[in-house]
Amino acid sequence: MKVKSLGEFEELVLLAVCILDGEGYGISVKREVENHSGRSILLGAVHITLYRLQDKGLLQSKLGGNTGKRGDRRKRLFKITESGMRQLRAAQDVRQKMWRLIPQLNPSI
Amino acid sequence: MAGNKRPKTPSMANWLANQFINEALLEEFFGDLEEIFQDRISIKGKAYAKLMYWVDMLHLLIGFTSLQQIFRNQHNPTIMYRHYFTIAGRNLSRNKLNSLINILGLAVGMGVCLLIYQYVHFEMSYDNFHANAHNIYRLTQTDIRNGENLGAGAYTTHALGVQGKETIPEIKDFVRICPQKLGLVVANVEDNIIFQENKMWYVDHNFLEFFNFPLRYGDWESALGAKYNVVITEETAYRYFGNGNPIGKSLKVSGGKSLSGIFIVTGVLKKLPINSHLEFDLLLSMEFLLENWPSYKGGGGWVNADFITYITLDDNANPEIVGKKYNHAISEQISSRLHLERRIGFQAISDIHLNSDYLKGDPASNKGNMQDVHFFIIIAIFILFMAWVNYINLSTARAMDRAKEVGVRKSIGAVKNQLISQFIIESALTNFIAAILAIGIAYFMLPVLSNIIGKELELNVVLSIEFWGWFSLVIILGSLLSGLYPAFVLSSFKPVRVFKSANTTHRGGFSLRRTLIIFQFLTSVLLISGTYLVYQQITFMKNKDLGIDMEKILVLNGPRVVLEKLKEEGVTLGSKYQIFKTKAADYHSISSISATYTIPGKGYFFGSTFIRKLGNPEDSGKPASVTIVDTDFADTYDLEFLAERDYIKDYSALEQVIINEEALKVFELGSAEEALYEKLIWGGDTIDVVGVVKNVHWNSLRDAHSPILYFLDNEWGAYFSCKMNLSDVQPTIAHIESAYHEVFPNDPFHYFFLDDEFNKQYQSDLQFGNLFSVFSVLAIFIAC
Repeated sequence: MKVKSLGEFEELVLLAVCILDGEGYGISVKREVENHSGRSILLGAVHITLYRLQDKGLLQSKLGGNTGKRGDRRKRLFKITESGMRQLRAAQDVRQKMWRLIPQLNPSI
Repeated sequence: MAGNKRPKTPSMANWLANQFINEALLEEFFGDLEEIFQDRISIKGKAYAKLMYWVDMLHLLIGFTSLQQIFRNQHNPTIMYRHYFTIAGRNLSRNKLNSLINILGLAVGMGVCLLIYQYVHFEMSYDNFHANAHNIYRLTQTDIRNGENLGAGAYTTHALGVQGKETIPEIKDFVRICPQKLGLVVANVEDNIIFQENKMWYVDHNFLEFFNFPLRYGDWESALGAKYNVVITEETAYRYFGNGNPIGKSLKVSGGKSLSGIFIVTGVLKKLPINSHLEFDLLLSMEFLLENWPSYKGGGGWVNADFITYITLDDNANPEIVGKKYNHAISEQISSRLHLERRIGFQAISDIHLNSDYLKGDPASNKGNMQDVHFFIIIAIFILFMAWVNYINLSTARAMDRAKEVGVRKSIGAVKNQLISQFIIESALTNFIAAILAIGIAYFMLPVLSNIIGKELELNVVLSIEFWGWFSLVIILGSLLSGLYPAFVLSSFKPVRVFKSANTTHRGGFSLRRTLIIFQFLTSVLLISGTYLVYQQITFMKNKDLGIDMEKILVLNGPRVVLEKLKEEGVTLGSKYQIFKTKAADYHSISSISATYTIPGKGYFFGSTFIRKLGNPEDSGKPASVTIVDTDFADTYDLEFLAERDYIKDYSALEQVIINEEALKVFELGSAEEALYEKLIWGGDTIDVVGVVKNVHWNSLRDAHSPILYFLDNEWGAYFSCKMNLSDVQPTIAHIESAYHEVFPNDPFHYFFLDDEFNKQYQSDLQFGNLFSVFSVLAIFIAC
């Protein structure tokens, strides 16, 4: 099965979910991405991306802990799946390979 | 505590989200949104938080309503519909008997509708096969004298067509037909095959070019070109010559002094289309007729209306304007000769079959009736509705069985709309299967229909696009009509009530069902009483006392061939007839024999001719029917005399007449006794009234009594009527036959009983009655 490559925003969201390690839900993911990338993101964009990644099988989710702040509503906690991890690694590998081929950065050439 | 003082999220935005976002997702979304809402309030204030709440909510709305359709596989509608079909199929096969009744009821209803559709289609298709059909018209003429309308007829005079073509540029062509009413004897002399032909026409030479009757053998341009040519139909050719090409063979026609001759077959027509109002067996040349029967040319060809005239108009001619031109073109000829005004009407050829009721003496033998056609369409619609009503009743009656299913579906989350579409899909499936079956049913019932109407119909509507349009419409309409009501009833069951008690009565449903049943019941009653009425009418027409005792009258065709040798033998026709009458009547069961020109039910010598009382002005003539009878006629037919005086027997000059009561009134002759001393004027001749008889129904009961003149003449024996005792029929007929062959050795012997022949006039009524009762029985069957 051919796996579609990840978009840039998707990759950021996936990485954020990995960092949050089981505690990733809409708002925490949004904050994580915002912190690292330094840009401001809409909550809806995060939600849409999370669900799209889940539909692609790169994330899995369950409903979890509620707080008073949320009006006693549960949050959907996302976790990366094995194939999600593979995709991330593959994307990372492609970049590594290409980085290594840039002449200015490679002293051996 | 703190929660109580917390600012609320914008409720409008929440309501909007509730409408469009899947319930399962709402909890986390609202959660996330509220969390961030609170954060924002504490950082940047309420207004900003509210604004951003809206932005986020709209973003989610757009994102998730469009995403749902693409990604959420568990809500894919095609899977849902496939599921509905599976369930519908399972339901049908689970209640086999029930579904069978449902589907069969619908299928029979639709099948009958389809049959009626085919019948109506056939009736409407008459004469459409002529390539130029939209430009062909039949001329009708209406006479008006002193403001009084004397009636319209399809018989026109010989000069009418010629005059029209010469003076009116829009008229491209015309053709005349003169049916030979008498029935001449035709023989293939070589093989001694003899028949009396009753559908023999004299036509103009362009007949084959004018109409589209394809030839099997021969050349259409020249086939009717010469005086002694004859064109016959395939069936006629088979009767005389068997298989093979008969071109060039000869047929001998025996038609008395004037119309006899040897004719050469120059054309054989393929079997005539069954939807042709023109029905004939032999075509002879008009030229021959006009030369040998010059009386048609009398009065400039404007007097004797014995021809049917067809014309073709230019593509862009307006029939109304051409009609006016026509009236103008003939007005001088008519008013100078006949002292009346004659109006010419145009009847489109495709209208002739169904819309000719207003014409007196229509020559077409296979008339239909637009009213009957409309009537059958209504019956078809009734039947279809009955079938649907029935389906509705049966499926709501089964509501109880389905209630549990609905309950379960609802409790696992089915919404009303889904249930409705499920039931509509079920009814669509039923309707579709029924419609397919209906085609089969119609196919197998077609012979029954063909049998009743006496024509070999084919189920050819299924080849037309129009039909498939109706077919789909009926299925769609049927699915909605018969599916919607059960769908709404069933889908509105409350799960709790369904499971709690077995009793799921639905008040509204039952009152509607009751209405539907009443509708069915009423329609059935209507149809039954309709059938009863139609039969009453037919029995009435058949059994009504016509003033003639028809059962006891046996009719023979008079001789035709014998006429040719009279001169050689040196005897008069009258005496020849007398010899036969004496010989045949010499038998215990025969009381009287009469030779007449026509018989009841077979029209007149002249259907309509102008007669006036001697002494009245020339333009006071009124139309009357004329026939010719011999002096034994009154005895044979038991006519009741109101007054009579001695008259000269063995007289043959058409100068003595017996009139009926109606003529007494119309011609102002006073009392019956007074009339005996009056004279009538017909053409230029003076006629003595020698008797007045009571009215009898000479033609169909439908026609009102009209003035009839029975001319006395012993030499016009187209038919012999024998009044006989019915005690021993076979020996009597054998006796008559031997007498006939002895006196007229070369003539074929044909006989029939008068009542049978007379009742043939009611054939179309009988057909209507039979069709009506068959359809009614089926409708009632469906309703039960």
